[in-house]
Amino acid sequence: MEHPYLFLTSVFGVFGLEEWAASHPHVTYMWLAMLILIIFGWLAGKSVSLVPETAQNVFEVLISGMEEFVVSITGEEGRKSYPLLITIFLFVLVGNLMGLVPSLYPPTASVNTTMALALIAVGWSHVVGVWHHGFKYIKHFLGPVPLMIPLFLPIELIAHTARVLSLTFRLFGNMMGHELVVLILLMLGGMFLAPLPVMAMGVFVALVQAFVFFLLSTMYIAGAIEEAH
Amino acid sequence: MKKETGKTIRELGYFASLGMSVALSIFIGLGLGLWLDKKFDTNPVLMFVGLIIGIVAGFSNIVRAGKKGKNY
Repeated sequence: MEHPYLFLTSVFGVFGLEEWAASHPHVTYMWLAMLILIIFGWLAGKSVSLVPETAQNVFEVLISGMEEFVVSITGEEGRKSYPLLITIFLFVLVGNLMGLVPSLYPPTASVNTTMALALIAVGWSHVVGVWHHGFKYIKHFLGPVPLMIPLFLPIELIAHTARVLSLTFRLFGNMMGHELVVLILLMLGGMFLAPLPVMAMGVFVALVQAFVFFLLSTMYIAGAIEEAH
Repeated sequence: MKKETGKTIRELGYFASLGMSVALSIFIGLGLGLWLDKKFDTNPVLMFVGLIIGIVAGFSNIVRAGKKGKNY
């Protein structure tokens, strides 16, 4: 379904790139999300002091609270993966919340973005696994008994592929569904604020989906760190 | 965040994602079988093998979650 009006597409239209921008809204709006995050990061880190003030306060609570949460799941070894995880969380959160602003398109409502994020998260969990166990990481895929290896290997490979796909489709489905419902309600009765209740629920959905994506990536990393069963 | 709340949220996220991974495992197995069938021209043997492996993979997820649930 076509979005009725996209702000960034008009902006790119000024430079004569309208056709490309209209067919790749997830790319341009991903750049916007990145820009928002960079500006917020710059604002928070601009004047770091020992006694935090205003913006720094908010970010310290968010960042350190999440860090403790991640470490409580993965153990001390997971602290190295934390920058990636919090980046994924903040990016998905900003991307989801962009769906609530008129004329903005949430980049996470495109399967390209979510697939890329899921591949990065699951791929990194395997990197962490190899990093921690070396060559013995392959034991995670072979099951408990050597005789059963031909049976366990395909099963484990399928289970790991399912992780990527379930991360992809959960986020994509939720954001795409929300976008569609809002658009349809707008078309049916836009002048009577019909989509307002769905948009209010969208705030909740955006938060929960960002958190679930973050949580599951954390748990996959924790699973790669722990010893083979 | 309190420690108990964190644990509850963690379990909630894990067990809520279980159903989806079961369904997707079955479809991945089926898709893999169909693809291999086309490649080796052995319709429909590998489709059933893939489907069975997918189902086993899906259910091994449940069994693993059950084992994990006992620890809590």
